[in-house]
Amino acid sequence: MSALLAQRAVPRETTLWEWFTDPATWSGSGGIVVSLGDTVLLCVAVILTSTLLSVPSAAYLAHRRLAQVSSAWLVNMGRALPTFAVAALLVPISLRGGYGFEPWPIFIALTLLTVPPMFLSTYVAVKEVDQAAVDAARAMGFTERSVLLSVELPLASTVIFTGLRVASVQVVATEPIRAFLGGDGLGRYIRDGLGQNNATLTIGGTILIAALAGLTGIVFSATERVVKPFGVRRLRTDRGPRPGESDEADLMEVPEPGGGDHAAAGRVR
Amino acid sequence: MLLLAACGNGEEAPAANGDIPDGPTIELRGQDFSEAITLAEVYGQYLASLGYDVDIHTPAGFRDEAISDLEAGTLNMIVDYIGGSQAHLAPDTEPSGDPDEVMEIIRDAYADIGATVLDYTPAIDGDAFVVRGDLDAETISDVADMGLVLGASAQCFERPQCYIGFTDVYGIDFADTQTIEFGPLLGEALDAGEVDAVVWNDTAPQIEEFGFKVLEDDEGIFPAQNIAPILDDSLIEAYGDDLVAALNDLSAMITTDDLLDWNYETDIEFRESDDVATEWLEAQGLI
Repeated sequence: MSALLAQRAVPRETTLWEWFTDPATWSGSGGIVVSLGDTVLLCVAVILTSTLLSVPSAAYLAHRRLAQVSSAWLVNMGRALPTFAVAALLVPISLRGGYGFEPWPIFIALTLLTVPPMFLSTYVAVKEVDQAAVDAARAMGFTERSVLLSVELPLASTVIFTGLRVASVQVVATEPIRAFLGGDGLGRYIRDGLGQNNATLTIGGTILIAALAGLTGIVFSATERVVKPFGVRRLRTDRGPRPGESDEADLMEVPEPGGGDHAAAGRVR
Repeated sequence: MLLLAACGNGEEAPAANGDIPDGPTIELRGQDFSEAITLAEVYGQYLASLGYDVDIHTPAGFRDEAISDLEAGTLNMIVDYIGGSQAHLAPDTEPSGDPDEVMEIIRDAYADIGATVLDYTPAIDGDAFVVRGDLDAETISDVADMGLVLGASAQCFERPQCYIGFTDVYGIDFADTQTIEFGPLLGEALDAGEVDAVVWNDTAPQIEEFGFKVLEDDEGIFPAQNIAPILDDSLIEAYGDDLVAALNDLSAMITTDDLLDWNYETDIEFRESDDVATEWLEAQGLI
């Protein structure tokens, strides 16, 4: 009978309130609890994999100022890939290989969706760290490794985190396509709702996915506060200009010995 | 080129243009799977060749969308499977394997929304309970206790002619179920062993390609699925019996083998539905 429960048809007259408050909606193999677990598990796996694939490589390449053109090109190519088409192409291959509907096709498609924005934000963040801070670290005898790990990455962390957050919200919001490719997860309610012309299911599923995507953003912001390097957190509250926005106007106020050229230089600027 | 052009003009001229009264453009759209797209092209191209103003819309949606757009007036002609129409318009009536019984029910149901269903085709595209060729079963009853995993579209799971019929009429105890979009993925899933049975249509060319077999519906839960064009009454008022007669003549020529051939061309050879439709009409001497 468990299979019957999994495919319990929801009458069209059911209101959203009735659907959400019915315990049967939440329990069983097609229930919200299990579906939510499926979705969260896949999203976490994709986000972790994408982070490991993109952040270290992007940080290193940006530190060395390597592959500036080719990485931008690859990233832009990657962004042009339609996620659904990629997954749909991979499903028959996976089935023929004996790997089933899930999880590889949707995992690969979502990872391809996530790596480009994560890579790009990390690359740009590290590259744009104030060169004066980097030079200062080198002058103090930092090794290149320490320059990257102790200076560039901490100073870039705000932008890197933003990139990870945006990409992760995108993963959660895109994951439901797996339900249209023989998979499960929260997308099942949208799939069944569309297939059975049942607005309650479609809207209910959409609410669940939107809520999870919103929650993902909040979780990331909270995590960011906890894991961000202590020194960088202090920068926020300090009153002086932060690295990266070192004030050129201030520098120009410094009286120059020659005096006369100063005004002209200011105008040209 | 000149010769070709001249030839083309020569052929178009004798079309019964003069006999066709002024009337609304025939707005037609195929349901979004290959067989239905080809059917819409066949009917649409044929009417166009007779001189009617026909607009074949880009295929979209399934029965729900087709019938609601017919009601809304976005479309004034649809092509549907009669058993499917019955399940949609009169869900409380008893499904029947006899096309005439089905027609009696849907004729009234379509009349209620201001539409007329014309004669059905000899061609039948019935629902099919499909299993791998090596399964030891000939009828659906045979699999009741086998603990199969069923793969079917989301629609199937709420219909008495489908999942609910299997569990309630046949008493099948499925080990599990999997929702799969209607189409070629059903065959891939069955072939890969992800599922043990799928609900498909018996004109799917993959059934032969993959060596599957269709089990007999011994309890008769699948309705008669002949195909019929359905016209908004405004078209019949404007164009009269000529249009009806032309469509009935065409429907009488479409056989189940034709459906199989079309689906082979579109799904296995990946050809365009409109080309397949044109070739068939030419081969029949209709255009």
